[in-house]
Amino acid sequence: MTGEDIFRKFKKLIPKESFFSRLDSLAKKYRLFGPVNIKNQTAFREIHTSKELFMEYKSTMLSPGKLFIFRPKEELFRFHKNEGIKIEELPPVSEQQIIIGVHPCDTNAILYLDRTFMGIYKDPYYEARRKNTMIISLNCTNVSPNCFCSSVGSGPFLKAEKGYDMLLTDFGDRYLMEIKSKRAEELFNMKGKKAGKEEMEIKRDIENSVLEAFTKTIAVEGLDELFLRNMDHPVWQHTAEERCLSCSNCVLVCPTCFCYDLIDESSMDMKMTRRIRQLDACQDMRFAEVYGGNFRQRRAARLRQFVTHKLNQTVQYGVYGTVGCGRCITWCPTGIDLTEMAIEIRRSEKDM
Amino acid sequence: MNRLKPVKARIQALKKQAHEVKTYTLTTENLPFSALPGQFNMVGFPGVGEAPISFSALVRENCFEHTIRSAGRVTAYLDGLKEGDELFIRGPYGKGWPLRQAEGKTVLLIAGGLGIAPLRPVIQGILEKRGLFDKVYLIYGAKNEKHMLFTDEFQTWEEEFPLFLALDEISNPDSGSPRMKVRDKRGWEYHIGLVTDMLDKVKIYPQRTIAFVCGPEIMMRFVCRGLLLMGIESSSLYVSLERRMKCGIAHCGHCQHYGLFVCKDGPVFSYKQVRGLPDGLL
Ligand SMILES: Cc1cc2nc3c(=O)[nH]c(=O)nc-3n(C[C@H](O)[C@H](O)[C@H](O)COP(=O)(O)OP(=O)(O)OC[C@H]3O[C@@H](n4cnc5c(N)ncnc54)[C@H](O)[C@@H]3O)c2cc1C
Ligand code: SF4
Ligand code: FES
Repeated sequence: MTGEDIFRKFKKLIPKESFFSRLDSLAKKYRLFGPVNIKNQTAFREIHTSKELFMEYKSTMLSPGKLFIFRPKEELFRFHKNEGIKIEELPPVSEQQIIIGVHPCDTNAILYLDRTFMGIYKDPYYEARRKNTMIISLNCTNVSPNCFCSSVGSGPFLKAEKGYDMLLTDFGDRYLMEIKSKRAEELFNMKGKKAGKEEMEIKRDIENSVLEAFTKTIAVEGLDELFLRNMDHPVWQHTAEERCLSCSNCVLVCPTCFCYDLIDESSMDMKMTRRIRQLDACQDMRFAEVYGGNFRQRRAARLRQFVTHKLNQTVQYGVYGTVGCGRCITWCPTGIDLTEMAIEIRRSEKDM
Repeated sequence: MNRLKPVKARIQALKKQAHEVKTYTLTTENLPFSALPGQFNMVGFPGVGEAPISFSALVRENCFEHTIRSAGRVTAYLDGLKEGDELFIRGPYGKGWPLRQAEGKTVLLIAGGLGIAPLRPVIQGILEKRGLFDKVYLIYGAKNEKHMLFTDEFQTWEEEFPLFLALDEISNPDSGSPRMKVRDKRGWEYHIGLVTDMLDKVKIYPQRTIAFVCGPEIMMRFVCRGLLLMGIESSSLYVSLERRMKCGIAHCGHCQHYGLFVCKDGPVFSYKQVRGLPDGLL
């Protein structure tokens, strides 16, 4: 990652136009990705000019980290069968790319994916993309009804100090630009007013006003113990049986869900096999199946796995699996809401 | 380093072990690893897939062994291979049995069914350095005599420690009357009943005993509860868990067991660590 190098973490106020024209000048050397308005939705797409960007977006269905760094589908190897089998290792992609306008929740989600794919075992495909991707984060001023990042400390303003390249805050016709990496310092060494105490105060005021816009919250205190005490709570069974379709939308839109499947696809003449990995989902009936059994045969068990992997199971990485983006709530066809499930459990404990 | 990249291995020898179970003696060019008892490889073939398989013998003279039951897509394919054929492996993965911790202690090895395979490297390790361990007992149960693995090694094992063998059923009940014991052709005596019945046979000091248990999860549940009743601490009981695995390196998420990655944090866990976890039987 970046961060190890010495650089000046400068903070400047940069006119938006100059920021965008700098981006345009980088388009020759870098692939650019950012939020684009498509009908009445926003999606992260490859862009060719900054004019395509829609920086005031609220939320996207898919997160940039799981589109452009951890790819939803990726070919890893080819096995060629002539006399004997030859393995061709597909090299990790080395294209340089920039993702623009990544909200704090999604930035934190990338930091979470780092724990999986760049922990003690490194995934070379992820690692190569991660290193070749500049992340320009954007503090969020457009809260959606399902957002609860403020409750879990991952937004609306980004607190992480490293692991990304730049942090923007919307100051009207200018961006407050905070540099977080050496390469960002080099590429965006632009003229602008140096930001000082006063600007930081304005930033705080904006943050405070954004914080007031949240309608969804979750009380994280004691959450781990709450769930551990309530593994057999009726909420799992009745939510799963009455509403969950096991469609896996929740998992696929989740920016931190990292599960994948390895799949072999052979050519018709059987001369070549591609080994591909693609996203998988714990909501799938066969996800935890083994010889002679299935550890999560029941829908309730699978729903509980998803919810507790986000709100409990912190033994895994020492952090919550949720970044509070609310996508699983938005895109669940029956509106299952993990924060409401936590509330239902809490309430039933109070009633006892 | 790409840990998902498999290497070729050649089948040096193949031995039918029992009903639908074979032991594969494998070798690879410049054997790229040394393994520990309880660790596993991802074994497979391009176009078919991969499956986690424990070492049933560690690397010796450039060879190692896997004992595999034909259970599904990958293993059925492997079942069709012959001596000299190639397959693909990657590994070794996971945390194995804490054999060092067992030194100086009484060691209880308890296996059910195919669970004997991951314990065989432990047995071999003990046989090599018998003096490092106090009393050793092996309790091993299978469905019936036809499912007993490594029967031709029992003799060697029994020279160093007692074996207690159990069968769920008799494959050919020759008389109508219920029996408590049967004897096979070679003279091995099998108790008819559960592995847990055999716990009465061992004489141990609980504080100086360590147990390694491997078998179907439901069997491990009852064995561990039995051992707890005998006074063994849950931190001195070790179990090896089976979960679906795709990557073996804590990435694909398939083996997750309430925040633990069975492939990386296990497959061997102390009973204390996994007892009562959701979606498990322990
Ligand atoms: C750490 C570890 C060590 C292991 N060590 C060994 C070992 O030493 N020896 C050994 O033999 N095994 C071992 N196993 C178990 C082995 O990995 C599994 O049996 C594995 O599933 C075999 O893979 P497969 O592709 O052959 O079977 P799969 O195809 O995955 O089949 C497994 C189960 O899924 C069912 N299934 C498969 N396809 C379908 C379908 N289309 N529809 C419905 N059901 C289906 C099968 O009926 C079967 O019950 C180990 C497992 C682990 C986790
Ligand atoms: S999106 Fe909703 S219905 Fe679909 S699997 Fe997730 S919780 Fe169930
Ligand atoms: S097997 Fe992939 S995470 Fe354990």
